[in-house]
Amino acid sequence: MSGPSREPEPAVEVAEVSKRFRLELNRPTSVKEAVIRFGRRDVRHLWALRDVSLAIEQGSFFGLIGHNGSGKSTLLRLMAGIHRPTSGRIAARGRLSALLELGSGFHPELTGRENVFLNGAMLGLGRRQMAAAMDEIIDFSGVGDQIDAPVKIYSSGMYMRLGFSVAVNVEPEILLVDEVIAVGDEEFQQRCLHHMESLRAGGTTIVLVSHDTALVRRLCDRVGWLDAGRLRSVGDPDEVVDAYLVAVADRDGESGAAGR
Amino acid sequence: MAVNQPGSRTALLSPAARTGARLVRSFAERETKALYKRNLLGWLWSLLKPLTTVAVYSLVFGVIYRAAPPATANGQAEVFALYLFSGLVVWNAFSTIVNGSMRWMDGVSELRKKIYFPTETALVGGAVATLLQSSLEALVLVLIMTAMANVSWTLVFLPVAMLLAAMFALGLGFAAAVVNARYRDIQHLTTIVLSIGFFTVPIVYTPDIVPERAYGLPMARLVELNPLNSVIAVARDAVYFLEVPDAADLATAAAWSLSVFALGLAFFRRRSMAISEEP
Repeated sequence: MSGPSREPEPAVEVAEVSKRFRLELNRPTSVKEAVIRFGRRDVRHLWALRDVSLAIEQGSFFGLIGHNGSGKSTLLRLMAGIHRPTSGRIAARGRLSALLELGSGFHPELTGRENVFLNGAMLGLGRRQMAAAMDEIIDFSGVGDQIDAPVKIYSSGMYMRLGFSVAVNVEPEILLVDEVIAVGDEEFQQRCLHHMESLRAGGTTIVLVSHDTALVRRLCDRVGWLDAGRLRSVGDPDEVVDAYLVAVADRDGESGAAGR
Repeated sequence: MAVNQPGSRTALLSPAARTGARLVRSFAERETKALYKRNLLGWLWSLLKPLTTVAVYSLVFGVIYRAAPPATANGQAEVFALYLFSGLVVWNAFSTIVNGSMRWMDGVSELRKKIYFPTETALVGGAVATLLQSSLEALVLVLIMTAMANVSWTLVFLPVAMLLAAMFALGLGFAAAVVNARYRDIQHLTTIVLSIGFFTVPIVYTPDIVPERAYGLPMARLVELNPLNSVIAVARDAVYFLEVPDAADLATAAAWSLSVFALGLAFFRRRSMAISEEP
């Protein structure tokens, strides 16, 4: 792990990244079907991201805004390594923890505790390290005794709280968060925000995808605005959010913009 | 950032390898627990199935058809059931891994869409759990052989045979799992192919009773060419005949297992990313 300030290398570097998804309507789900429909298949390609370049500095709080379907979540998934870019290059430097959706990365059959270990393993942490953090994780999540029950019986709130608790308590160097704080009760939301702020104070780079422009303004150092897969602008939160809101207002009526 | 330094025990491995090893362990534990949590008899229960198979086949082939097993090393353990069991132990590990691979893949495919991890670790973990289970079966076999005073140091080749069978199976399982993720009928097809496959390997029969030619096909040659035959032959030499396995068998088994494993893994790595991108 390189020193925090000696090397000004960005924590996340996105260089001319494009991502194309292959969509197939009525994709055959068996060999039998595939043989029957041989040659008559309806394949479409969707460009989720086009030529996106940005650099996220170490220790900064970066916000990503944009309409539904603008490619925010895709970009976050690329940063997390879940998807690979179709072209371009993406690099994340440091241990990365991602909270992409409700209860990211839990195996439904495993207990909460087993999932914590499994998540730790995925993040590159050993049993001893996870065991050391276990009490804090259970405490923060508030799932209590249910930690030893399979997560499939968890309520969506517990799922989400445990997911967040793991993601933030593993001392990530880069934390990717997609929208999750929008759910959960007020009190937990506040705790999440506090915790993210203290992580940032500790030097963690945070990338947050949100529709909540007020939150983005309050938390972020820089904001990127994605529009139909392209990076429309990036820079000071107030400027970018204002420009975005103007565009939303212009478009209003067209598509009932960004409901959430 | 204050990140705990890894213990010296595992510090020899690269971080990626360490992560992989931890994931394999997690998945293996999960598979083992899933198998035995549900019932009281636990591990014993799982032995019932292979032992029943041995009993049934012994009854049909040993008692009804009076198949004569070849002579063992000490000339006293010529029990058809033991001849059968020594091949079955390896076959069970093989077929459980091939079939399980698709299930293990399905078990983590949702997970993989939400967090990155090398997906192959789930399959390797499942295979490790299967091997543990098979070792228990092998132990029973060895105990019986010991009771019949038919033991020797050649036993060390039994784990080798099982490991080769497991790698062979994983190679096939890797391929089956990615194809099955897209075309769901592959799992049914695999079940059929495996049940035919069982009879193409000399497990319930001895290689020497296979006719030279039948239906215009060189039967004996085909059985001999079956790569799994070599793996089973190694196991049988180790535990039944108590001979050092034929070098040619060992080489054939190793060459097939390692190349099938490598090819399967390469194919899996190429294709598994695309699967996690499907909606």
